Amino acid sequence: MKERAVIPTVFVAMAALLAVPLHCPPSYAQQAIAVPHSKQVLGFENVKPNKKGTLSVEKGTLEFKHGKEKTDLAVTSITDVITGDDSQRAIGGFVGTLSMFGPYGSGRFLSLFRTKIDTITIQYRDASGGLHGAIFTMPQGKAEDIKKELVAEGAKTSIPIEPAAATPQKEAPKQ
Amino acid sequence: MKKLSQWCALAFFVAALLFAGSARAKDEPKPQKISASAIQIVPVQSDEVKIPAEFQMALYEHLIEELQKSGKFQHVYRDGDKAASDSADVITLRGNVTGFKQGSERKRQVTTVSGATSITIHCQFVDRSGAVKLERDITGKVRFLGGNLRATYDFAKKVTKVVDESF
Repeated sequence: MKERAVIPTVFVAMAALLAVPLHCPPSYAQQAIAVPHSKQVLGFENVKPNKKGTLSVEKGTLEFKHGKEKTDLAVTSITDVITGDDSQRAIGGFVGTLSMFGPYGSGRFLSLFRTKIDTITIQYRDASGGLHGAIFTMPQGKAEDIKKELVAEGAKTSIPIEPAAATPQKEAPKQ
Repeated sequence: MKKLSQWCALAFFVAALLFAGSARAKDEPKPQKISASAIQIVPVQSDEVKIPAEFQMALYEHLIEELQKSGKFQHVYRDGDKAASDSADVITLRGNVTGFKQGSERKRQVTTVSGATSITIHCQFVDRSGAVKLERDITGKVRFLGGNLRATYDFAKKVTKVVDESF
């Protein structure tokens, strides 16, 4: 008897949850974006090369959080943002270096396995006008999101962002 | 006996040549060192040969880092630094990419002999009046270990060596 009472209640609750987004207007406010597993290759002030951390853009600031420390930069000081792609060894770091000395060419074999990564190059000016260049790598497909967010918050870029894929045109009827 | 004398004559001739060579080297005046208390680094231009943005910035940052480490100059200024205009004898380092071959880290690791990355830049050290004090073609390479960007580090090391010899 109790089960019969519970089941409709659950349905009503689920229906109510699904209906909520229909009544709430979509938010167009800038969403903060954070990319974990990013690596600062070089150039970001006060961060050692090849530090791993989380790169995020929020409230007009580009922030790189590594461990307990975080370094930030005003987005408005960025004069150029350029994205690219690269690849890195699937087994990297100390283990990767050790594996290169593996017997029967096993290290070389392991070198064949690589993961694709995105790169983002940022140029910015410090308080005295000096130019800085910082390079970050991150998981594939994330660099363009960071770039879009940076440009939306006031960063400049020499390569404009490509517009989203246009709606496919209807094919002409075959005659 | 005759052969021995021939060998002696040959050895004497070689020794005489070596001595003459070293004496000439001593006579040649050493190139005068250029004096400058500060250097300003400008990002390399890639008018004819295009290089990826990350290479351009890596070259710039590595140059600044290596020249600061060398201790040859009191100040190493970045491009656009307002403080550089106050310095009396500042030298500007400009570069133009003349050759670039982007290799492959995978090829290097798998084959060892192929996949090298190299970048050649025509470097000019220019004084405040615009006169070129020194110019060289310098090549940075990565042949075995490391990513492609390591060629930019190699380039910066070589530039620092040239600076050590000439300043």
